[in-house]
Amino acid sequence: MHEMIKEPVSREPRRTIVLSAQGVCYRYPDGVKALSGIDMRIAPGDRIALVGRNGSGKTTLIKLLCGLIAPTAGNVRCKGRTLSAEHYDRSRLEIGVLFQDPDDQLFGHTVVEDVAFGLRNQGLPREDAHQRAMQALQQVNLATLAYKEPHHLSYGQKKRAALAGILAMQPKILLLDEPTTNLDPGQEAVLLDLLKHFKGSLLCVSHDLIFLYNICRRAVVLDQGRIHHDYTMHDLVSQRRYLREHRFDFSFRLVCLPADSASKAPASTSTQKNPPASGKMNPPPLVGMRNYAYQYPDGTRALQGIHLFIQSEERIAVVGENGAGKTTLLSCLIGLRQGTGDYYFAGMPVKQKQRKRLWRQVGIVFQDSADQLFNSSVQEEIAFGLRRIGCPRSAIQGRIGEVLSMVRLEGFENRVPLHLSGGERKRLALACVLAMEPALLILDEPTAGLDPQGQALFYNILKNFKTTILLVSHDMFLVNALTNRTLMMHQGQIIQDLTTRDFMRDKSLRGLNGLTFSLRQPR
Amino acid sequence: MADAVYIQMPWWQLPLLVLMPLAALAVMILWLRRVVQKQSVPGEERDWSVPPLTQSGGGSPVHRWDVRCKIVTLLVYSFIIASLRHFAPACAAVCLSLVVSMIAKIPFSRVLFRLTALAGFLGLLLIVMPFTVATHTGDTVVVFGGMGLGLNLRGLILAATIIAKAAAIALLMEPLVSTAPLPVTLHGLSRLGAPDMAPQMVLLSHRYVHVFRHEVRRMAAGMQVRGFSMQTDMETLRAIANFLGMLFVRSFERTERVFDAMRARGYTGRFHAPGERQIKFADVCGVVIILSVGVALLLFDRMGLQGWPLCTK
Amino acid sequence: MHISDGVLPISVAVGACVAGAGLAAWSARRTRSEDLPKVAVVTAAFFVASLIHVPLGPTSVHLIIPGLTGALLGSSAFLSVALGLLLQSLLFQFGGLTALGANALMMGLPALACGWFFQKYKGRTRMRKVVIGGLAGAAGTALAAFILAVLLATGGEDFLGVARIAILAHVPVIIIEGIVSAFTIGFLARVKPSLLRPSFLSPTKAAHG
Repeated sequence: MHEMIKEPVSREPRRTIVLSAQGVCYRYPDGVKALSGIDMRIAPGDRIALVGRNGSGKTTLIKLLCGLIAPTAGNVRCKGRTLSAEHYDRSRLEIGVLFQDPDDQLFGHTVVEDVAFGLRNQGLPREDAHQRAMQALQQVNLATLAYKEPHHLSYGQKKRAALAGILAMQPKILLLDEPTTNLDPGQEAVLLDLLKHFKGSLLCVSHDLIFLYNICRRAVVLDQGRIHHDYTMHDLVSQRRYLREHRFDFSFRLVCLPADSASKAPASTSTQKNPPASGKMNPPPLVGMRNYAYQYPDGTRALQGIHLFIQSEERIAVVGENGAGKTTLLSCLIGLRQGTGDYYFAGMPVKQKQRKRLWRQVGIVFQDSADQLFNSSVQEEIAFGLRRIGCPRSAIQGRIGEVLSMVRLEGFENRVPLHLSGGERKRLALACVLAMEPALLILDEPTAGLDPQGQALFYNILKNFKTTILLVSHDMFLVNALTNRTLMMHQGQIIQDLTTRDFMRDKSLRGLNGLTFSLRQPR
Repeated sequence: MADAVYIQMPWWQLPLLVLMPLAALAVMILWLRRVVQKQSVPGEERDWSVPPLTQSGGGSPVHRWDVRCKIVTLLVYSFIIASLRHFAPACAAVCLSLVVSMIAKIPFSRVLFRLTALAGFLGLLLIVMPFTVATHTGDTVVVFGGMGLGLNLRGLILAATIIAKAAAIALLMEPLVSTAPLPVTLHGLSRLGAPDMAPQMVLLSHRYVHVFRHEVRRMAAGMQVRGFSMQTDMETLRAIANFLGMLFVRSFERTERVFDAMRARGYTGRFHAPGERQIKFADVCGVVIILSVGVALLLFDRMGLQGWPLCTK
Repeated sequence: MHISDGVLPISVAVGACVAGAGLAAWSARRTRSEDLPKVAVVTAAFFVASLIHVPLGPTSVHLIIPGLTGALLGSSAFLSVALGLLLQSLLFQFGGLTALGANALMMGLPALACGWFFQKYKGRTRMRKVVIGGLAGAAGTALAAFILAVLLATGGEDFLGVARIAILAHVPVIIIEGIVSAFTIGFLARVKPSLLRPSFLSPTKAAHG
């Protein structure tokens, strides 16, 4: 184990330090220790990345730094003043926090009222607050939606609105908690741009190393409640063995895999751009959609002219910016929604009655696994689906054990699903679906929100499956490693259908629709 | 009892005169609700960079009415309507409410939606009351031969009066609520004496109802994709209970996060109200007009048409 | 079931509004002022919960879940119920405001009673919580039906028939509410038992401001 480097990078003596933590410890009310001995100094203009595994105390540290909770030992100082009850109100107005879920932060009636909330708390009169709010919205490109109610906004718009609410208050320091989860690369680039223009100090918690690399110059590594490293971003990224020792090795994503690794999947797949309409040569496809379209009740066209054929044991990725219709396509595939046009599953046409039975053959793992877990123990969760498909009682217990070991959750039968970590919940959702032995397995952003260790584990579980897989992801590494065919969607249509290899190689395609990404090698 | 008038009718007239009209009414209401629900999704063509109500050209006199006057007047008027006892004044009240709706330029679909919302309870009254009302002197009772079922016409009229009153009051809600931005309307309540926190709580609840509705939809989809379907059995009840439990756990956790976000932006226990307005002469005129109409209705109700000479003096 | 406007005699309607307002104020005073925004957010959750249809033979019913409202919110339950009804009337296009007081009493009093009952007898074991929760849910719904009948009966003998039918219609609902409350309390006892404690929320961490 290398020695722990404890001294901060900014060794300048007594510069105006904006925010500092000295010997901060924090213990939860139930006694669990979250943080111990945190020493950190943030200077003006600092750009710090805060990384660490899920559960290492990053969100708790953010809440301590902005004064939402008080440390059980040590103190946090803002501009030299210790944060304590009398000063919290004033300090909070100088520290901006962007939380992970924008719905938690947008609580005003309209967007502009929400942005003005912080400004009114800063003491501005109504007219000035309104003006500043409109300026902030202009900055994030949302001025045209100022009077809209927040629940009508898309996720990306909500994120920007929440950011506008913070930026309007002109904080000296900005704390960001996982700002890029669920954003597509195009939206990430917009956020990156906004943050680059921010003049104050910045502390960003994230797993997205590439995003952090673009903004932050300094990296603080948190492990089990302690700071293990505090040095430059460049140093962090280049010392791969240190990363691996802390078990959050990002590098598995930074290496270009050899081209034939993706073809580990059985080769009975078709890789043509447009499969022949009659399909005589190949066995009948598992999924056949012809001229499929879907329109929401209010008239918005979500899908149009979809031609999609999926053979058994094929592995397909669907990529596209948020709002392109990917989730709607998944809903239609699993029978939650009914569109117009032809949809054949395993040779049978899917109409009203069959739609209700599709769940027996199509399994889906949602982006937010909490949406799929609703029992009070892991074994009940898995048994729920098994009972619905008619599995005999005697076989249920055995099947549960089998499936739990497939997803590396052995022995978890009596745990409570909600108490599991994010990665464990995702694997549990996968287990519930696998227990029903679906013919088609759909994964909607399976690695979103997971730390690199969780992502690596998930990938290792998936790569050996023989089921037909449909993967929706912004994560190009996963797409490259797991699939051999990629569909690109834009505005409700499938605009490209090629092999993953061709997709990865074609720089123009990758740049299309803001789906840029980089597989940079660490220097 | 002996003075009630009994009309005998053959039993097969029961379905014809009673059941079929009721069924037709029920079907029409369900169809109307479906039509209205489809239309009530907000359109996307509006320009969201300007405050909503300035677009309809200042709207109507009701839009320009001071919020406090509007609330007090319409509330008092609602209670006056609720105290009416006879059918004809109740019908007059419905017409007057429709007039107010038209003046306030309320879209017809919203009017329909309000009217059809309480169809369940009122429908129950309409079916049950005529058959269960006590027979008073002077009543006309239609007895369907052999079944002992007496349809008391007074009961029918009583039910109809209640329905008319409910409709008249429901129709006033739209002009009350949707003719000014919601925060302004709610803060009008607080300027009338309700505590400051009250309007803010309503606004917060309103905002998060939408968030939770989205969550519920996703959770329901999550259950559906594992084969859940609603049936009348224990398994369904258990699943619903789990669903409710998940909803509560998630909502309580979200509450904490929202509160953290509020404090992080400097919330110290007070919300800031939108601006105030002075009461103008036109506002007071509006109050006087509506309340006079209300009093006139009341007089009409209590004294029948003989009351009119008293008003028009 | 909601009482609509125009059903109750005006004196009863006004009296119920006054009583309801008073109880709401009491309930608000019993809540810590910093918790009031939190009550607003969870009211939204209860509101959405009450929109769920539970199948019952050919039709479906909506649950008022007085047992759960009381068990989770304690004294703040009345405020939450009143707020939910106000929301429903103002914003979700459901009736007028004159019957608000009566409806609040009908749904809020059982919630308060259930809350008190649950906290007093919940015991320590999960099974006991489940049983008491179920009893509270069922009894609360029965109480709501009773209050509904009493309110209707104030209209005079003409309304007795309707009152009787209203009670009869509630019988299957009482059973369903009891079962659902029991299961839900069981779920919460395993997953987040801190929600079942008497204070509005679990003891806060060392919070400031």
